[in-house]
Amino acid sequence: MSHETWQEQLRRGSLDLAILLTVSSGPRYGLAIIQHLEAFTDLVVAEGTIYPILGRLTREGLLDAQWVEGEAPHARKYYRLTKLGAKRLDHMTREWRAFAEKITRLIDAAGGHDHAAH
Amino acid sequence: MQLTETGESRVNGYLFVLERSLKTFLPSDVVRDAVREIESHLRERIAAAGGAPNEREVLERILAELGPPLRVAQAYSAERTIDEAVTTGRFVPMVRAVWHLAVSTLVGFFVALGLLIGYLLGIGSAGVAVIKVFFPENAGIQFVHGVPVGFAAQFPVSPGTDLRGGYWVIPLALAFGLAVLVVTQRCARKYLAWWRGRRVS
Repeated sequence: MSHETWQEQLRRGSLDLAILLTVSSGPRYGLAIIQHLEAFTDLVVAEGTIYPILGRLTREGLLDAQWVEGEAPHARKYYRLTKLGAKRLDHMTREWRAFAEKITRLIDAAGGHDHAAH
Repeated sequence: MQLTETGESRVNGYLFVLERSLKTFLPSDVVRDAVREIESHLRERIAAAGGAPNEREVLERILAELGPPLRVAQAYSAERTIDEAVTTGRFVPMVRAVWHLAVSTLVGFFVALGLLIGYLLGIGSAGVAVIKVFFPENAGIQFVHGVPVGFAAQFPVSPGTDLRGGYWVIPLALAFGLAVLVVTQRCARKYLAWWRGRRVS
């Protein structure tokens, strides 16, 4: 597997968690979610591909979506975390932390990030 | 930023292509909602651009950041069509998903070809069982040089064709056909689940 493929898989695998985290503090519309993700991560490659993921998370019952009119010259679709979404986010966060911790331990045991240089 | 007529036409062109692409695999109400959301995104970005001097440059940058309409449509396809097929396992959504991958990727084309052969073999074998009930002389197990090659039916039976087997062929062909259909359907579902794992985003 090439380095790019590995990075791409890592990015895809963490997008769901990143989106759920973004809306966990309160409802946000699509562009606001993208801007938040862009401010903290480099997970967004093409902005338009975030919307299908938001749609899937809504279908899975993790997010609730609602169009809001009158707030801006055009309607905005707001997403908020559902109870099921909050529960899933809790699981995902715990799993992510445990996973990251194990990999970090493995990296440390291998002599740190400069291992390849030796 | 207030768009000129040319700018408006560029935005509408983008949305038109997106809508046309989405319509090939999504229900119309979902397409409307998706296009409305993407348009909302574009209008928001354009408004935020303020009074930029070069409208064309700004608009092209905004559209490039959003991604080409076909790529956005492909992402919807990966999330929606394949998702529905894997989750429900129903025949029609699965056919739709396999078809969409077949026309958009090389791997998808060859997999779809394999699945098509599987479905045809299953349906054909089950069909031989049904034909055997009404035309016992025209259906059976075909032998070539004394070796059985499969279930077959012919109208009329051409000279030199060696069709063998009594009514016991019916349950055998039916069981074989159904087994092939079940295996093919499972393979299709596994393939789509694998594809979903490689989600386009």
